[in-house]
Amino acid sequence: MPDRIVVTVRLFASLRERAGADRLRLSVPPATPLGAVWSHLPEAVRGTGPPDGVRYALNHAWTPPGAPLRDGDEVALVLPVSGG
Amino acid sequence: MTGLRETPLALEEVLAAVADPEHGGLAAFLGATRREADVREVVEIVYEAYPELAAAELSAIAGEAASRFGARLAILHRVGPVPVGEPSVAVAASARHRDAAFAACRYGIDELKARAPIWKRTVFADGGAAWIDGAGPAPGPGAPR
Repeated sequence: MPDRIVVTVRLFASLRERAGADRLRLSVPPATPLGAVWSHLPEAVRGTGPPDGVRYALNHAWTPPGAPLRDGDEVALVLPVSGG
Repeated sequence: MTGLRETPLALEEVLAAVADPEHGGLAAFLGATRREADVREVVEIVYEAYPELAAAELSAIAGEAASRFGARLAILHRVGPVPVGEPSVAVAASARHRDAAFAACRYGIDELKARAPIWKRTVFADGGAAWIDGAGPAPGPGAPR
């Protein structure tokens, strides 16, 4: 089993602006919980951590934050929405 | 019919999408960029979506409207800049009778606002701008929600 996996993190809205990119590739330990990707983000993107009401998607489906990540996964950090 | 559009929205498109000769009630809703000249004047709202999941969520909402209300529901949401007065979202519903059509239309816009991964960045006449996403800097009093 590898000691690191690589996942893609999709960023939107103010997170995307902070990162200056709409996706980041992160190297994390295998089976890292989805919600723990925050702690692996660059400090400038992470800010003060996940805001209230954040949701997560894994490979384009809503997913609870405890789901373990696998190599090649695509994570999306979905901030509180404001469409309409 | 549901989806995201980079071009101006037309009510006719969502109404045509729900037309059904068995449906005698049609209801429609347009949401437009509000100027808020009395608070902090807005010039446009820029919408950004997570396209894959927003498309899936809008489609799911339409499916729920069919099972809950027996309605056909169409939703289009614009992405990119939407100037004051132009619609950012168009919803139409049809059902056999008006109660179900109104309910489905309301369901469509309310669920979209609660669930669809779409965000607004308000651009003000004074040159400022603010994301409404719970993570950007506080937009200050009077910011649209």
